[in-house]
Amino acid sequence: MIFDVNVIFDQLPAILRGAGVTILLWIAATIGGAFFGFLVAVGRRYGGRLVNLPLGFCVEILRGTPFLIQIFLLYYGGPFIGLALDPVPAGLMGLTVYGAAYYSEIFRSGFAAIPVGHIEAAQCVGLTQGQIIRRILLPEMTMLVLPPSVNMAVIILKETAILSIITVPELTLTVSAIGSQQYAFVESLFLLALIYWALVEAAGRLGHLAETRLSRYRFSQS
Amino acid sequence: MSLKLFELLLKASLYTIGISLISILIGFAIAILLSGAMLSGRKFFSAPAQIFISFFRGVPLLVQLLLIYNLLPVIGINVPSIVAAIVGLSLCTAAYQAENLRGGFASVPRGLIESAEMVGFTPGQAFRRIKVPIALRLTFPALVNEAILILKASSLVSVVGIVELTRMAQDLAGSTFLPLEIFASAGLIYLVINLVVARAGGLIERSLPGIPR
Amino acid sequence: MSLPAIAVKNLVKQFGETTVLHGIDLDIPQGKVSCLIGPSGSGKSTLLRCMAFLEEATRGTITIDGEVLGFSESAQGVRERLPAATNRAIRSRIGMVFQQFNLWPHMTALGNVSEALKTVHKMSRKDAEDLAMAQLVKVGLESRAGHYPAQLSGGQQQRVAIARALALKPKIMLFDEPTSSLDPELTGEVLNVMRDLAAEGMTMVVVSHEIGFAATVGQQISFLDQGKLLFTGAPSDVFRKPRNPRLEQFLDTYLDRGASMLV
Repeated sequence: MIFDVNVIFDQLPAILRGAGVTILLWIAATIGGAFFGFLVAVGRRYGGRLVNLPLGFCVEILRGTPFLIQIFLLYYGGPFIGLALDPVPAGLMGLTVYGAAYYSEIFRSGFAAIPVGHIEAAQCVGLTQGQIIRRILLPEMTMLVLPPSVNMAVIILKETAILSIITVPELTLTVSAIGSQQYAFVESLFLLALIYWALVEAAGRLGHLAETRLSRYRFSQS
Repeated sequence: MSLKLFELLLKASLYTIGISLISILIGFAIAILLSGAMLSGRKFFSAPAQIFISFFRGVPLLVQLLLIYNLLPVIGINVPSIVAAIVGLSLCTAAYQAENLRGGFASVPRGLIESAEMVGFTPGQAFRRIKVPIALRLTFPALVNEAILILKASSLVSVVGIVELTRMAQDLAGSTFLPLEIFASAGLIYLVINLVVARAGGLIERSLPGIPR
Repeated sequence: MSLPAIAVKNLVKQFGETTVLHGIDLDIPQGKVSCLIGPSGSGKSTLLRCMAFLEEATRGTITIDGEVLGFSESAQGVRERLPAATNRAIRSRIGMVFQQFNLWPHMTALGNVSEALKTVHKMSRKDAEDLAMAQLVKVGLESRAGHYPAQLSGGQQQRVAIARALALKPKIMLFDEPTSSLDPELTGEVLNVMRDLAAEGMTMVVVSHEIGFAATVGQQISFLDQGKLLFTGAPSDVFRKPRNPRLEQFLDTYLDRGASMLV
């Protein structure tokens, strides 16, 4: 089994398409997950017990079970309750819900970690509730939740690979399919690992850059 | 869904537990070596450890498992697929556990070692009697967390044909046309296992004396 | 005149580019309480840590009972690190009490005090714990022997730390701001233990902001400012007629009404 570099070049458009699907799914699921996660966190904090308890229950279930089981339940079980989704929408929905559960916990601890004194200080200088949320709570929370959020985004990027199991045509499915067509399965998996490694490293670096940028901006403000 | 099916899932979950437990233990042993290499302060040891950790944390576990499963026979190692699965899970968790251990050792306050020096400990004694026990206690919550992550991640070894909980659920769902009930039951079993691990971990943590929280 | 307990000679300490101690010469007399005072960042804690060889001096020597600790230095200024075993042996004459207590959190009070007796001095468990218990009695904490540090107040933790040092029968006790991280109402119990120790004739070096303690218990006061030793003398000389302007300024800031009445 000798690896033919030309194979990669011949298949480059297909590989890039797969990578494109992976990156689009990743970005959509991360943004969607963060958005819904934020709503869940706000609902749990300000919605009273009737909202907090059921939401907390759902979050615990999503955090306590493997993503693969969740995606199987949605993809294979969905049609039985009138939710027959194609692989791509099923994958996107599953990943978004999964991400939302984790993001809601990130935001919840972000809310909890802001010192009461900061809010009291804002009240004392006469800021309104809305001003306090916009000028104090949200900026401070951004600082607190950014590092775990970057972390979670990287986790979601890696979880997209699992969507290949329900035949979402993303990177893992594409490259391993090429590998078996060309009788170069191991080589294709090496290539696949390298691509993910590069993507994850790049995403991590980008995230850290955002963290340092933002913290500098906060310093200049304070 | 019949009780018989649930029983089959429960039996398969023993594989999930067994594979996860073995992988976490092997991973811990490898993590000790890795974190030692990183804390050695010598590039010759720390650089390879760094690359190992970066790789296994940077590549999806599914890809790692497929790679190891298919690579081993190619390089002349013919082992049952369950061994390949355990190797994959162990290497992955080793990378994460090594980061935990390194962080734990780095966060043992310097003053605790100074006070050991002042009562006459040799560096080796201070390491064994003070640094190791405190670092292990500091990293214990992260270890419990990692155990839960691996229990969940072990569902991926289903793709290399190990009939653990997820694979059993998949097979049963295919043959019974009850995917909803079966995958929900499998999810419930995972949830219960994880709750038990988290609870037990919390109890053990509280019984470990002396690390203020 | 007897050999000083600690002799500091031309001690220079640099952290990178910054010089924290500019050639300190100081003798710590046997059987007396010596206090190092000075503003924050004056180098007094660094000086104390150099005496214990927790910091490596850049130049100069520390001599304990006539034996050099850490680095020897020839007349030409060639420094040579002494063997670790030698340093450990000389350091065993020194007990140290830290600002942050530095009790080991995974051991009980009794465990903290008996640990070195077992590990370093190879005493049997029973002998070590008997001796440790006697030390806890001495600091008034026998009832807390089975408690972990996290279950003790700051003052109690510091008293355990003192007991831990005393269990090894040191000839010299160093105190690095022993009450600085305590709530004001807890400093008394620690200072009382230190007073008892002074009354027994222990050689003590105390870095502290407790000017009252320095004035009443101290027998030699050294004033450091910006890494220089500006004054060493009897407490009466320091507190009654301060002549150095920096010392006068420092005392004005620190000496509250209560402390000045003590003098």
